[in-house]
Amino acid sequence: MPDIQPTTDPARPKSSLRAWFDVRGRSISTLAFALNRLTAIGLTVYLFLHLAVLSLLLRGPEGWDAFLSIAKSPLFLTLDVVLLFGVVYHMFNGIRVALVGMGVAHRQQKGLFYGLVGIGLILFVVGAILIYTA
Amino acid sequence: MDNMISQRSLEQMAARRDRSGSFWLIQALSGLVLVILLGTHMIAHHFIVEGGLRDYEQVLDYVSNPVIFTLEVLFVILGVAHALLGVRAIVTDMRPSAGTLRVVNWILAAFGIVAIAYGVYLAVALQRLAG
Repeated sequence: MPDIQPTTDPARPKSSLRAWFDVRGRSISTLAFALNRLTAIGLTVYLFLHLAVLSLLLRGPEGWDAFLSIAKSPLFLTLDVVLLFGVVYHMFNGIRVALVGMGVAHRQQKGLFYGLVGIGLILFVVGAILIYTA
Repeated sequence: MDNMISQRSLEQMAARRDRSGSFWLIQALSGLVLVILLGTHMIAHHFIVEGGLRDYEQVLDYVSNPVIFTLEVLFVILGVAHALLGVRAIVTDMRPSAGTLRVVNWILAAFGIVAIAYGVYLAVALQRLAG
């Protein structure tokens, strides 16, 4: 499965960062890699924001329960669904990346990708429905 | 080219004292453990709680369980390590100079230690509040 590599094609961006966003003619595996990285960046930012928000708990019930009323607004719930997509995609594609990188089933990685991400998408849909209906 | 780290590339990294291979392995293994920890965390905090989120008393009650406390602390440590090793991998892909990478390593290590210390402090403080 090809990774994003430095390119000699003059039509493509030379920067590896810009190359992530250049989807022309890319295979599904390369797009999977790029999306894995984008979700990773999003989840990293969220992790540190989440740790900061949890400090509200140290202010007692007033601080935390006031935050909860904001967290249950439709906008926040939509952001939760976007977060859930990032988590589920990164989690299931990450299992494939870890297994293949360790030499497990690297010949079946396309099947692994569709199988794992397929399971992830089903869980995402179920989770998204639960977020809006809980 | 596939994603598997070849024996030759591992030997080349060892010759350059490049720890990217070890970091990759730590990131992959922590990622596999995080699948369980993050899955449990999300189900426990968002999907089995009435209303979708725990209120103050429910959070304290949850963290007061020693098993949950241990899992949450492990989650913070592995989550921060996994995330910052990922940031390092992205920086490495941009082919920085050895000096720049050394600075990045120090910044990420310092940030990681502060974040883990803060996360553990938060968990301990909440457990004390729960009495």
